[in-house]
Amino acid sequence: MKRTIFGTFAVLFMVVCFTVASMAAEPIKLGALYNLTGGMSSIDAPSLNGAKLQAKLINESGGLLGGRMLEVIGIDTKTDQKATATGAKKALSKGVVAGLGYGDTTFVMASAPLFQAKGIPFVTSGATHPELPKWVGNCMFMTPFGDDDQSFAIADFAYNKLKARNVVVWTDNSMDFTKALSKFFKQRFKELGGKVVLEDFFMMGDKDFSAQIARLKAASPKPDAVFISAIPNEAGLTVKQIREAGLSLAIVSGDGFDTELVSTVPGPKLANDVYFATHTYREDPRPEVVAFVKAYEKEYGRPPENAFAPLGYDAVGLIANAIKKAGTTEKVALRKALAATMGYKGVTGEISYTRPSGVPMKAVAIVGVKNGKYDLLETWVPEK
Amino acid sequence: MDGYIAQQLLNGLILGSMYALVAIGFTMIYGIIRLINFAHGDIVMIGAFMTLGLVISGKISFPVIIILVFIGGALMGILIERVAFRPMRGAPQVTGFITSLAISILLQNLGILLLTAQPRNFFCPDYLQTIYHLGPVSLRAIDLGIVVTAVVLMIFLVLLVRFTRLGMAMRATAENLNVARLMGININRTIMLAFAIGSGLAGVAGMMWGGKYGQIDPLLGFVPGLKAFVAAVIGGVGSIPGAMLGAYLLGFGEVLFVGLLPPIYSSYRDAFVFTTLIMILLVLPNGLLGGKTEDKA
Repeated sequence: MKRTIFGTFAVLFMVVCFTVASMAAEPIKLGALYNLTGGMSSIDAPSLNGAKLQAKLINESGGLLGGRMLEVIGIDTKTDQKATATGAKKALSKGVVAGLGYGDTTFVMASAPLFQAKGIPFVTSGATHPELPKWVGNCMFMTPFGDDDQSFAIADFAYNKLKARNVVVWTDNSMDFTKALSKFFKQRFKELGGKVVLEDFFMMGDKDFSAQIARLKAASPKPDAVFISAIPNEAGLTVKQIREAGLSLAIVSGDGFDTELVSTVPGPKLANDVYFATHTYREDPRPEVVAFVKAYEKEYGRPPENAFAPLGYDAVGLIANAIKKAGTTEKVALRKALAATMGYKGVTGEISYTRPSGVPMKAVAIVGVKNGKYDLLETWVPEK
Repeated sequence: MDGYIAQQLLNGLILGSMYALVAIGFTMIYGIIRLINFAHGDIVMIGAFMTLGLVISGKISFPVIIILVFIGGALMGILIERVAFRPMRGAPQVTGFITSLAISILLQNLGILLLTAQPRNFFCPDYLQTIYHLGPVSLRAIDLGIVVTAVVLMIFLVLLVRFTRLGMAMRATAENLNVARLMGININRTIMLAFAIGSGLAGVAGMMWGGKYGQIDPLLGFVPGLKAFVAAVIGGVGSIPGAMLGAYLLGFGEVLFVGLLPPIYSSYRDAFVFTTLIMILLVLPNGLLGGKTEDKA
């Protein structure tokens, strides 16, 4: 009995201490919305890890605004748009000063407008649709490049370096991101003088691509490459099944292919001749990149899974940078400071909001997969 | 072009066999206790992860793994039956249905907790990955394995139900649980064995699924579970050859829908599947091979 009373007091004492401590320096809350389960998880889970790592490093070096800690509240929205809206409301009700999240446009569109309505900034770590800032409003900020840039980059690469003239385009018809990626790819590839010989479609969650592959095999004129607009869940599956059907044409894609699944699912023997455009960081010697990779390995015991980990890290970095500049977490000042971001040295490249579209002008990396190994082949820089 | 059609038909056959492997276990359980077991797909998932674990853990040969996975799936089925379904024997049909949904969600979330939701790659021995080119068509050893396993298991099950004592007991239990009990049939044992065989098959199906697609995650059971349900309903729930037939119709239907229509319709294959289901149920409410069943609920 005595022990119970003692225990109760100990707990009470701890609660009191904790409350006092937190009153002294109230944490700065950031709502991090990510799909930690479901089809988007292999993109979104690393992003949240990156975001949490950035917050941890900032807190270890003394926090922001004179010792206030950054608190990243991670919310799993299950690759489900309804859960996404609920998650956004939950984050807002917790009094976050800014939101961040998602590696995909569809989910940003289900959450960011709710932040916009309250005038609270939302920074997407990995959604790449170039019209996001236009659709959502002035509280929407992008960490990555736009889909137009990455599609143009891989189209240029396919035409100039792979010498592809005839391509087949496969599109995941269930996502805004994949549809936009295909649109920009086709646009650029045709401008360059290439030809799209066949277009085919599938849905996120499809496992069996045998019917589409048979059609790809029968396509005429014979395609030199197939552009697959997919998210990671289908990336490895499509590569595996295309190669197993005995087709050896080049497979090109965007950052949805930036996942280890592209090499592990087909295995090193079949993961060949795959090229994708992605965020610059892989094999990059810049000091930000080296420091990030080292910190990530130390924290999680493995190298960053893909480019979405540094993007999550950069998203929190952007917000922290703006809070420092604004000197406050008040939403109007914070939004203005974010919009005025110039030359922020992120792991995934330098970020400045100079374009009228609000999309940062960032370099695009072209990564090639050979025998299951990823190599940085070239860096593409947008013209304007 | 003929090669194209041949390849698509082969694709349909392989996909249909994959569905059949899941559907025959599903329909077996339904046939005996009229339970629509939505957790069936999740046993497929467990089978896939069990295979992965066994492959990683050591040099166990693949045929031995098949047996181990069958036993593992069977034990899982027995456990579920004992814990969740036996206590509510005699309750209305809908109770069992809802319980099975609960088990399904439980297994999926347990999977996410223990294994994380990240998809992971599946290992498969090289000889199963060999690609054969037969004239204009190509297929892999694992595809052949799937087709053969599905057909062999179906024949085995039909024989089991028709010609063994256990099969007779199963049919009696299916016909009327209480009368079967009065006749001295140990219905608990019979139902448990039905669950064991059905779930064991689901485990093997999971192994094939992993081998075929090379990527598995804790939520993978949902789609095969649903497709097996559709296949079983099309074929006439409770009929093993019917489930097989339904699965093949579904496999061919899906592939030919994508393969023969203009590509723009490719993304609507699941819509096609469920529309077909509704149409068949409108014309033949008991499915293609389903006899008249008397609904006791």
